[in-house]
Amino acid sequence: MTLPAALGVLDAARELRGFQTEPAQMRAAAPGKVGRLRLGFAMRDGRSVLHDLYRVAPLLVQQALYWDEAMPELPVCPIISVGGGILQGDCYTIDITLEEGACAHISTQGANRIHCMDANYASQHQMVIVGAGGYLEYLPDFTIPYRGSRFIARSDLIVAADATLLYGEMVLAGRKHHHVEERFGFDLLSMDVTVRRPDGRKLFGEKTLIEKGDPTIAFAAVMQGFDAFANILCVTPPGTATRIKERFESHFPSEAPRAASGVSRLPNAAGLMLRAVGVETYDVRNEVRRFWRIVREEVRGRSLPTESYWR
Amino acid sequence: MRHAEPRALPAPRGMAHLARLLQFSDSTLPIGSFAFSNGLESALQTGIVTDADGLSRFVEFVLHQNARVDGVALLHAHRAALAEDYSGVVTADRELLCRRVGEEQQMMLTRMGKKLAELALRVSPSPMLERWLADIRSDATPGCLPIGQAITLAGLGADETEAFVVHQYGMASMILSAALRLMRIDHFETQRILFAAQGRVEDEYLAVRDLALNEMAAFAPVFEVLVAHHTTVHVRLFMN
Repeated sequence: MTLPAALGVLDAARELRGFQTEPAQMRAAAPGKVGRLRLGFAMRDGRSVLHDLYRVAPLLVQQALYWDEAMPELPVCPIISVGGGILQGDCYTIDITLEEGACAHISTQGANRIHCMDANYASQHQMVIVGAGGYLEYLPDFTIPYRGSRFIARSDLIVAADATLLYGEMVLAGRKHHHVEERFGFDLLSMDVTVRRPDGRKLFGEKTLIEKGDPTIAFAAVMQGFDAFANILCVTPPGTATRIKERFESHFPSEAPRAASGVSRLPNAAGLMLRAVGVETYDVRNEVRRFWRIVREEVRGRSLPTESYWR
Repeated sequence: MRHAEPRALPAPRGMAHLARLLQFSDSTLPIGSFAFSNGLESALQTGIVTDADGLSRFVEFVLHQNARVDGVALLHAHRAALAEDYSGVVTADRELLCRRVGEEQQMMLTRMGKKLAELALRVSPSPMLERWLADIRSDATPGCLPIGQAITLAGLGADETEAFVVHQYGMASMILSAALRLMRIDHFETQRILFAAQGRVEDEYLAVRDLALNEMAAFAPVFEVLVAHHTTVHVRLFMN
């Protein structure tokens, strides 16, 4: 099986130079370690449907379900990882396309656990395309990099000028209740996201790079007192962005905060970014949900369903 | 007479060169830096910074981040300016703005960039800076401060390490002069913090000099929340 070109670009990243050894188990990118997922949504007979689905284990999507009670027209697709987490030498590609006017909600079944590594690294490339008038909520659950893990992820997002994409990255700094060295105990976390228009014009780019031993992690302006963070992008037209920003109340208690959050404008009138930090995942999740509700209400005039009891 | 002959060159690139570098690094250079605190005002309001030690770490953190994002763009723009590659300058300018989240952070970056270009053109002609300013005015390029510094300093014959030092110094002095107006701290303390910060500039340069534009990277979740928080605060002295 040939690897997608995008993964080859990731393999050449500078920060991976020290992690090129082959695993003693299955070699990197061997069959069974290359997960692929392609999802396509389009309007059919007045309804947004999952019309294209291609998957290679360990990534799996079964079918779209219309079970969002507050937005019954919304196809909901949880991504399942049958592997139980990401291992060294794994590479995933996820391609999601929403055609004109379609909507969808994509989540993951559970946390994206990146297991301990003693060789190589894991990589993931995502391509998300939202066509004219489309509305996509792509909110994967928390990424939890275990100690000694190395993970590189790149996301290319292409969003039409009148479409909305809510895309989130939430990270917990390791299994904090498992081991004292878990908090930021991973070797490498490199996450890059780029937002473009369909004509190729770049609107926004951000790279989060955390390498082991970075002295600034302990600083108050970085992560002191918090173990979880989220960057939630809302790429949306400027008028909608203004309405959302006016409604979202930033939150930064000065006494022993459990969580803090705020919404900033993206450059080039691309939309908004929610930044949140918290002590536990649920503290951050609450902030994300507060933002998500406003986005859905302002863009599609629908609210959120009551939260699942297992959350 | 013993003192008739100079014992060494007074400055390796000439005394006027050094003097002009000082001029363009001066914290009183009228490009509007007095209006910005780069997150310090919010950091004080939320208790992220409370005292001189906290301020010292805040400055260290900001310079660390400034090197890894703005500093990379500055170095690329400086190299492009020396090579007379104007499109390379514009690419660095756009790439930097693409990575700046927050309307006030974007304003700090572009307002000071434009003011620097206007000022530098008043004191010394530069065709490239003139073209860049015209493009800023017609919205063809964003006009980020580090890019303006790169073009101006390359025009003065400064090498990239000198441009990098001016850039890092400018950020440190801006925050520390804001600190004097925002918190209980005296000039001696801020100078001590500045002196210590200067000692790290070479390490910062070495850490970023080989990075490509798409390798500009940061990690500062609490700072990013502070930046967002500041836009919603009613009582404030600074624009960011």
